[in-house]
Amino acid sequence: MKDVILVQRRIPRCSESENQRKLAELRELARAGNYNVVQEVIQTRYPDRQYQIGKGKAEEVAELALSQKPAKIIFYNPLSVTQVYNLSEMCKCEVIDKFQLILEIFASRATTRRSRMQVELARLEYELPRARKIVSLLKMEERPGFMGLGGYEDSYEQDVKKRISRIKKELSTGQRDSESLRGYRHSEGFSLLSLAGYTNAGKSTLFRTLVDENVEVENMLFTTLSPTTRYLNINGRWTLLTDTVGFIEDLPHFLVDAFRSTLEDVFRADIILLVVDISEPVDIIRKKLAVSHEIFWEQLEKATIITAINKADRLFPEELSSRLKSIAYLAPNPVVVSAKTGEGLDELKDIIHSHLPEWKRFTLELPMSGESMSAVSWLFEEGIVHSVNYGHNIVMDVEARNEVYRKAKSLEKRLSFR
Amino acid sequence: MERIIAVDISGRHRHNSRYLMVCAAVSLSIAGGHVKQIHDVNIKPFVSDTPPEVVDVVQMIERTVEGMVGVTIVAEKGDLFNQSEWLSNSMFTASFKYPESLSERMGIEIAHHISLSSRNLLLDSRSWEPIKDNL
Ligand SMILES: Nc1nc2c(ncn2[C@@H]2O[C@H](COP(=O)(O)OP(=O)(O)OP(=O)(O)O)[C@@H](O)[C@H]2O)c(=O)[nH]1
Ligand SMILES: [Mg+2]
Repeated sequence: MKDVILVQRRIPRCSESENQRKLAELRELARAGNYNVVQEVIQTRYPDRQYQIGKGKAEEVAELALSQKPAKIIFYNPLSVTQVYNLSEMCKCEVIDKFQLILEIFASRATTRRSRMQVELARLEYELPRARKIVSLLKMEERPGFMGLGGYEDSYEQDVKKRISRIKKELSTGQRDSESLRGYRHSEGFSLLSLAGYTNAGKSTLFRTLVDENVEVENMLFTTLSPTTRYLNINGRWTLLTDTVGFIEDLPHFLVDAFRSTLEDVFRADIILLVVDISEPVDIIRKKLAVSHEIFWEQLEKATIITAINKADRLFPEELSSRLKSIAYLAPNPVVVSAKTGEGLDELKDIIHSHLPEWKRFTLELPMSGESMSAVSWLFEEGIVHSVNYGHNIVMDVEARNEVYRKAKSLEKRLSFR
Repeated sequence: MERIIAVDISGRHRHNSRYLMVCAAVSLSIAGGHVKQIHDVNIKPFVSDTPPEVVDVVQMIERTVEGMVGVTIVAEKGDLFNQSEWLSNSMFTASFKYPESLSERMGIEIAHHISLSSRNLLLDSRSWEPIKDNL
């Protein structure tokens, strides 16, 4: 883990608890970005054009940077190009703001080609308005290597623009991911489980606790998929469990698409495990749950939501049950767990098991026709085809979800009556 | 299991110099992220020469839900001119809130389909189809 210093400029007369919450959010993001916070610097004042914080405070940060040698200094407040330039010159250290940190996190978690492109697009859109300014700053300072480059000033901005339009075009051609889990699931017959929830809820801890029990089996039977997806045996049925990026409060507009794309796996799942940190203040829990429901409402097709009420070990039983009552309407299929102590995991598995889509094994007989042939390839995609015999009729031995079974059977009926 | 009344109003735009609105209220039970049961549906058409204001919206909703069983009325924030929830709640005699959960949104979606299609039915005189030619 790399060390970082966090800096927050607070707005005068803004509520203390609000300020605390924002700093806590930055701390959580830093942790999610795999950084270790060694120092936090706070100043309350109106913004400074040159340094965001006051110049004196900036010098203080520079001294800290000299002694602590952090990999980065991360500001809560959005920084202008000038500020980034001045601060990094003074501190001799890379300086970024909250948005750049979020972009880093997204970039590290984007699993599919599409989501990587979305994240790159967000980064470029963040950079575009700054591109010209960056070059002119560098020129002003006559930094070696830039003056001699002639047309560089124009070409840098042009270059960013070109890359933006290239990515947009590629995204709009709508090539769905072939590397995506969905295809994999269908060819192998796995159900997909996804963890979801706000950052710091305990998704990754729950992921590890659930998967750890399985480790040996996994290593023997399967190859590793990706760091964030693992095989998980739920009372005898194999599933794929995916950890995801946490929801982040107050995302700026240019980051929304990138965020959505990192959630692609969540929205394709059969079951979503919505992880909630029950030890937070109740009104915050309620607000976070409501936003999660809103995101699901816009994006979800038909996944079942199971609410994992996490960090139960942090509360006394009476407190826990009164909290459960007040959030019940926002917590479908609730299970109380502690990812840390392992409490409630068996119950969680039971409820997951009871919501796994039902699979059926059946024989299907179709007459030789074009329509039947497309049904065959559809079944290859949607289920496990154990055998196909092309004789006078096509006879298949298939295993698939209940709804696929029903569709296939009604097709069989329709085609055989012709 | 929780019982709510989901409400939606269609037709809040001018139509031949009048406002022809249909309010639909659906009393339903929700649980586990789903709508479990629909108990009751009320539909009421309203007409006005001037665009409806917040108090009119509150009136229309209260008159539509009259006699229905349910604890809380739920409607889209946009239907109450995006005013804050406590203000809207204070204008109703029953308790009122904006949707938060998936199931509350599903309830409003149902109410929306009902109000929209009943309004279409009322507006289109040709919607009375004869069953037999001689009717
Ligand atoms: N006491 C307690 N702490 C927990 C529990 N689960 C997780 N934590 C702690 O909560 C913090 C966040 O846990 P993570 O698993 O990294 O959270 P996350 O949801 O993956 O967060 P992001 O990846 O940032 O979205 C860590 O310090 C965990 O040790 C729990 O059941 N009890
Ligand atoms: Mg995590």
